[in-house]
Amino acid sequence: MKTGKELKPGTVIRIDNDPWLVQKAEFTKSGRNSAIMKTKLKNLLTGYKTETVYSADDKLDDVILDRKEATLSFINGDTYTFMDTTDYTMYELNAEDIEAVLPFIEEGMTDVCEAVFFEERLVSVDLPTTIVRKVAYTEGSARGDTSGKVMKPAKLSNGTELSVADFIEIDDMIEIDTRDGGSYKGRAKS
Amino acid sequence: MASWPGQGLPLSHGRMDFLPAMLLSAMIYPDNRRFFQGAAMKAHWDIFCCVVDNYGDIGVTWRLARQLVAEQGLAVRLWVDDLKAFVRICPEAQTDAAQQWQQGVDVRQWPTQWQDTAVADVVIGAFACQLPPAYVQGMLEQPRAPLWLNLDYLSAEDWVEGCHGLPSPQPNGLRKVFFFPGFTPKTGGLLREADLLSRRDALQSDPAVRNGFLQGLGIVPEHNARLISLFAYENPGVASWLDALAGDSRANHLLVPEGRVLGDVKDWLGEQVLTVGSIARRGALTVQILPFVSQDDYDRLLWCCDFNAVRGEDSFVRAQWAARPLLWHIYVQEEYAHWEKLEAFLDLYVQGLSAPAAAALVQLWRGWNMDNDMGQAWQQLLAHWDELDCHAHRWSAVQAAQPDLATALVQFYRNWL
Repeated sequence: MKTGKELKPGTVIRIDNDPWLVQKAEFTKSGRNSAIMKTKLKNLLTGYKTETVYSADDKLDDVILDRKEATLSFINGDTYTFMDTTDYTMYELNAEDIEAVLPFIEEGMTDVCEAVFFEERLVSVDLPTTIVRKVAYTEGSARGDTSGKVMKPAKLSNGTELSVADFIEIDDMIEIDTRDGGSYKGRAKS
Repeated sequence: MASWPGQGLPLSHGRMDFLPAMLLSAMIYPDNRRFFQGAAMKAHWDIFCCVVDNYGDIGVTWRLARQLVAEQGLAVRLWVDDLKAFVRICPEAQTDAAQQWQQGVDVRQWPTQWQDTAVADVVIGAFACQLPPAYVQGMLEQPRAPLWLNLDYLSAEDWVEGCHGLPSPQPNGLRKVFFFPGFTPKTGGLLREADLLSRRDALQSDPAVRNGFLQGLGIVPEHNARLISLFAYENPGVASWLDALAGDSRANHLLVPEGRVLGDVKDWLGEQVLTVGSIARRGALTVQILPFVSQDDYDRLLWCCDFNAVRGEDSFVRAQWAARPLLWHIYVQEEYAHWEKLEAFLDLYVQGLSAPAAAALVQLWRGWNMDNDMGQAWQQLLAHWDELDCHAHRWSAVQAAQPDLATALVQFYRNWL
């Protein structure tokens, strides 16, 4: 059982006996300390997609999924091929299936991901909680701040934009927390 | 499970319960008679209201229930778990009645131990309240499940448009739908009775009617005094605002209905006790304590005032219909989530104002909600009074051009059918 608040990309819930993959989940405080979760769901049997809203405390039947370690093998257009690290089986996913983590997927990444299977079919991929990426572009430090509290925009090599500490420079390696859509965590230790 | 008669299901008391509401509504609102020609075919709506705190929950659901009966000819049951709160806004109601008819609405005490009851065609859970499990089971057992709506909170934030009308399929097979009130065409709109603005205009354009209403509440403002209503939560900004009102060159008459802000007013006045009817004067300011009045009278009070300080959701919307400059005390949420909601509304509301007037309004609202000094902000606002007054009219007219919430709900139901 999961609550609406616990839904996140990769979760599969059962509705009318069908498994639905959560592809996107946006948490919002609606009013007077109640909250909602807007989700994008995909029916794993029919491929049908829909948007839904749940109250944070709605109780939902989640489906127990198999998970295996996998790494990104290559990208071909909108198709992402992952390889099982134990038996070298190749699995393909469309960009839509990994929409939530797509901003942090890039060619050459070596992160050991968790491939999520429903009835032996790969349905999603979870990134590690912390990943390391190189900053492709950012403006120079405007204020010479070294505290890490002043933020500025930066771009990764795949075009993803995020806020980083003011002292971060081009080609710096940074740590990113992939939960809640991905946020700057700190400069990676060399 | 009991059922509504007239739906091909076993006859019970349910449909008969609703007939008085329909007849009453037809008598009060002759235009609605046509709705009752096929009364047996009319939809039944259940509205569930869990009173969490204050009067917003019951205020919104009571208004909605009344409007659905009066204007849409629907049979409406309003389930309330705290009738004491209901009696504050509907003084003729009883606190201990399991069932009572009020203005055509079948008002029910929402019992702790749920009794078997017929399921309506449309079920509204207000503000994410949890329906009785036995009632939900009854919904499942219907040949066709009712339309189940979650009527959510009012917010001007962008995400509301993207969530309004979205389904919420439940594990048991039922589908709930999220319905969001709001200020833009892609939302469910605001509660507004069909004749509200014409009644407002009639009162505001006739000084005799206005004065008559005020005198009925014991209010006799000094000639040319600025009349202000104050309905707010506890607020440290009260003192600096009242200082400004007391030091004004123009007389100010502040009307304070009983409520949570009374303590701050009492402290500022230095009075030991403030009760209904109390009148105190400090400089240019007269403070008068009013009883907690019915919703209709509160509307009239807002229409009579030159400026209205309101709070929460229900009075906030009603002050917008008053078409007078207003000040909103927003409900405080965890992690300051309410600030985003405040800013979202301000972003919408100030559109069309000159930059200085918008800045003055924003400064006053932020000051009120972020515990800042109100004195200077009030002075700034006064400098733009005429513009803000015109803008309040314009805003009201723009909002009134959109379908009201009750109409939108009924239209949603028709489309769902």
